Amino acid sequence: MIRRHPWLSILAVLVLIALGWGWTNRADLQAFPSIIGAYSAKEYCSCRYVMNNPPNYCEGYINQYIPLSELLDDQASKRVTARGLGSTQTAQWQGQRQGCQLLAQPAATPDS
Amino acid sequence: MRIPLFPRLTLALALALPCSAVLAAERWPDPHWSAAPASTSAAITALEDYAFPVRDDEARKGVRTDALLVIRDGQIIYERYAGPTTATTPHLTWSMSKSLMASVLGVAYGEGRFKLDAPVAAYYAPMAEHPGIKMGHLFNWASGLAWQEGYEYAPLKSSVVAMLYTRGRTDMAAFAAQTPADAEPGQRFRYSSGDSNILAAALKNIVGVKAYADYPWTALFEPLGITSAVWETDTSGTFVGSSNAYMTARDLARIGLLMERRGRWHDQQLLPDAWVTFNLTPFAGYQADAEKPDGAVPGAQWWLNSAAPTGSKPWPDAPDDTFAALGHWGQGMYVMPEEKLVVVRYGDDRDGSYKHNELLKRVTAAFGPGVKP
Repeated sequence: MIRRHPWLSILAVLVLIALGWGWTNRADLQAFPSIIGAYSAKEYCSCRYVMNNPPNYCEGYINQYIPLSELLDDQASKRVTARGLGSTQTAQWQGQRQGCQLLAQPAATPDS
Repeated sequence: MRIPLFPRLTLALALALPCSAVLAAERWPDPHWSAAPASTSAAITALEDYAFPVRDDEARKGVRTDALLVIRDGQIIYERYAGPTTATTPHLTWSMSKSLMASVLGVAYGEGRFKLDAPVAAYYAPMAEHPGIKMGHLFNWASGLAWQEGYEYAPLKSSVVAMLYTRGRTDMAAFAAQTPADAEPGQRFRYSSGDSNILAAALKNIVGVKAYADYPWTALFEPLGITSAVWETDTSGTFVGSSNAYMTARDLARIGLLMERRGRWHDQQLLPDAWVTFNLTPFAGYQADAEKPDGAVPGAQWWLNSAAPTGSKPWPDAPDDTFAALGHWGQGMYVMPEEKLVVVRYGDDRDGSYKHNELLKRVTAAFGPGVKP
C-alpha cells in the first residue's frame, strides 16, 4: 500500500494527525467561534456603558482581525449583541457597580 | 497627684507638637485631591513627548496614553487625559484588578478571616481536587496549575480567553479550578488569571455570601473615598478579580497612596503592615523568563522592580523600591515610596510599543528627587 500509493499514504497520515489534534482540542475548537461575538459584545458594552465612551470610539476599540457580521447596540436597555463566525452573543449592563455581563442566551435581533 | 502648671503645659506641648507636625506634613485626598501642578520644564516636555505622541486611533498604533496622573506626597502635581478618557472616566484596569483584589483580600486578612498557609479548599470547595495548593501560592501565581495565559494573539489555546468569554464565563473560578496541575504548588511562577479568580471566589466564603457583593466597597473603596469603582462579575456573582475592575485615575491613585503609606489611611491601618510586606516580597521561586528579560518580578499580586531574583532590575531607570499594578494594553500604576510618588497610567496600546521603564525614566527625571516642587 505504502509503496504503491506513497502520496495517498502521506495524506492518510496527515488526515489522521489532524483528526487526532482536533479530538484533543475539541473543547477549544468548539468554543472558538463564540470568542469574537462574546469579546465584542462584552467589551463594547463596557466601553459604552461603564467607561461612557462614544459609540465610534467603542467600535474601533473592539475591532479584531476577525470581522463581525453584526453589532447591535440597544441603547434603551443598554444591551449589546454581536455576531461573528456564525455565533451571536449578548452582553447586558447590570447596574452602576456591576457593569456588563455576558448573557447565557443571545438577545433576539430584528433580523434573526 | 497635682502636677504644677508649667510642667503640665510642657507635657501637653510635647505630646501635641509631633502630632500636629505629622498632620501638617501629611496630605490625604479627603474628600478630594488637592493639586499643586508642577511648573513646566524640559523634563515634563520630554515625558509628554513619550506619553502623548500624535494619537493614531485609526490604526491603533504606537503609544496611546489615556490618562497620566502623578501624585507626590498626597497631592496632584501632574494630570493629563487623552482620547475619550477624562478625569471622570472609570477606566478599565485589566490585570491591575489583581492588585486591587489583593488589597480587598488584605482587609479581610487584617480582620483575621483567612490564613495564607491554609489550603485554598478550606475556603473554596472546587479546589478539593488540589489539596496541596495554599492561599499564599495563589497570591504568588504559583499554584502549579497548567494555565495558558495568552490573549488575542493565541485565542484557541488561551485559558484566559476561554475563562472570560466562552467556556469559563458562567463560573470563572470553577473553570480555573478544573485546570490540571503540572508542577508542585509553591515552586514555580506562572502568571495566571485563573489563580487570581480562584482568590476572588475564595473571598465569597471568607466574608460570607451576604457581605460579598458589597465587600470591595465596604472594606476598601468607601474608607478610601473611592466613588467611581465598577467591578464586573461572572454569572455566578464572583468578581472578575483578574480583569474587570474600573475606576477613575484619581480613584486608583488612592489605592497607590494607601500602598505607599504601607496600608495606613489617616490613622487607620486598613491593610496590616505585614500584608504589604507580603505583597512586596519577591516570590522566592521566581526565575526570569529568558524570552522576557524585562519582565517585572512577581510579589503577591503586585509587580516589583527587584534585582534580588535575577541580578538586574526589570526597570533600571526607576528606583529600586518601585512596585506596580500592571494590566493589558499598557495599564500601569507605579508606586515609588522613597520618592513619595504614585503614577497612574491608563492606555489603549495595542502593539506593545509602550515600555514601563521609558515612562518611569522620564517621570523620575521630571518629578523625582532633586526636582523642586
